[in-house]
Amino acid sequence: MIHFDNVTKVYANQNRPALDHVSVDVDKGEFVFLVGPSGSGKSTFLRLVLKEERPNSGAIHVAGKDLARLSNFKVPHLRRRIGCVFQDFRLLPNKNVYENVAFALEVIGKPRRFIRKVVPEVVELVGLEGKAHRMPDELSGGEQQRVAMARAFVNRPMILLADEPTGNIDPATSIGIMKVLDRINRTGTTVVMATHDAAIVDSMRKRVVELEDGKIVRDQSRGVYGQAY
Amino acid sequence: MRANFIFSEVWIGLRRNLTMTIAVIVTVAIGMALLGIGLMINAQVGSMSNYWSDKVQLSAFLCKKNDAFEACKGRGAVSAQEKQQLEAQIKGLPQVDRVFFEDQQKAYENFKAAYSSNSVFLNAVRVEDMPESFRVKLKDPNEYKAVYDALAGAPGVSNVVNDQELLDKFFGLMEKLRWAALVVALIQVFAAILLIGNTVRLSAYNRRRETGIMRLVGASNLYIQMPFVMEGTIAGLIGGVISAVMLMLAKIVLFDGMNNYFVLSTQLTWSEVAQVITLTTVIGVVICIIASFFTLRRYLRV
Repeated sequence: MIHFDNVTKVYANQNRPALDHVSVDVDKGEFVFLVGPSGSGKSTFLRLVLKEERPNSGAIHVAGKDLARLSNFKVPHLRRRIGCVFQDFRLLPNKNVYENVAFALEVIGKPRRFIRKVVPEVVELVGLEGKAHRMPDELSGGEQQRVAMARAFVNRPMILLADEPTGNIDPATSIGIMKVLDRINRTGTTVVMATHDAAIVDSMRKRVVELEDGKIVRDQSRGVYGQAY
Repeated sequence: MRANFIFSEVWIGLRRNLTMTIAVIVTVAIGMALLGIGLMINAQVGSMSNYWSDKVQLSAFLCKKNDAFEACKGRGAVSAQEKQQLEAQIKGLPQVDRVFFEDQQKAYENFKAAYSSNSVFLNAVRVEDMPESFRVKLKDPNEYKAVYDALAGAPGVSNVVNDQELLDKFFGLMEKLRWAALVVALIQVFAAILLIGNTVRLSAYNRRRETGIMRLVGASNLYIQMPFVMEGTIAGLIGGVISAVMLMLAKIVLFDGMNNYFVLSTQLTWSEVAQVITLTTVIGVVICIIASFFTLRRYLRV
């Protein structure tokens, strides 16, 4: 589903590469934790998958497409197959829960009938039934992140990228977030989650890819956060 | 493409940037109105020069009894022999197309027709006051110099009046007005482009959350850019409508008003005004679309 082959990314005005000859394969339906200290290249990895950045060398395939050969014109279509969740939720403050989720479908031109049908389903999937008409500032951090996940998942993407989704949320609430991500993963969606949260990684026992200074130092199925064994 | 979604976005954008939008509308309206006035002057001058081109003539007025003109001082009215000589001389000139003689009675009738509305003036003038004249039609109205020189000093001629010279003065004035209108219009268009650029920039900044999410969920570039371009288009269109109103007022007040001062000049028609309005509105909208599109490429990463 995601295939990195010897990928190096050096940002302009920086000597040290953000990603240094990284090769990794993520299969369909997998759940992968991307761990490592700040600046180790986790976010760069996610940005490369979205084609927000281009690698300096190496090849990236996402959902069977070679990103180097994907024209800019077709990038939006790639992004429709990838859902994104962030630490800071990125909800629209002047729209309620339903409208925030529906927005993702409206802007890709889905018909209204379809939106009316799928949005309540997804709102329920993330555990926000009965709160569809709340505004974001009336919700807790955990609930806001659930809205963001509903929005990321409403178009049934093949891949869900989560960049520190529990970074702004207390540990108890984080468990609920992880349950939603797990539920989404069980529908067959590939999930890649960048995180610092050792407790969550340890409890989930999923594949762990550890980055340090742009290099993969560990790639372990059913891993934990801590040191390499 | 969901039209109502785009329109609600456009409405929000216009409302958030109300002051900038008004500035764009006013600038476009003034710029397009001035451009339109330039084009209307053009149309007016065009139809006038058509109208006059086969009517311009060179008039050599002849001395009458007790004439006040310098050339007639110390002599009586023009003699029949002088008239014959003059006519022969005029007919001999190569630039002359045809010539006819206007006697005092005919001159008085023409005068009466021209000043029919001014009875005081009309009553003060008698047939004997009117000068006789030779009316010369030239092959090319611009080639009047030789004919003018030949007649100006000839015995029995009081003065020579050339219509073309008067018209040239009038057309010269119109030409200057037209250029002034066009230059100011150009400056306004330039200001409009900068204003639209600023508006789009503000708009893009105001809506960076929305556009960021749109980008993320895979909205097409067209979909992301459309509300911004539509904002520019609507502002341009409103400006165009206002300029249309200004142009219609200009037609009624300026052009029709001017017509009252110049006897026998042609009237600017409403169909010409309609053409000018259509053209300026289209130009206004196109400028807005192009300006918003190009600034978007700078301030909205897609």
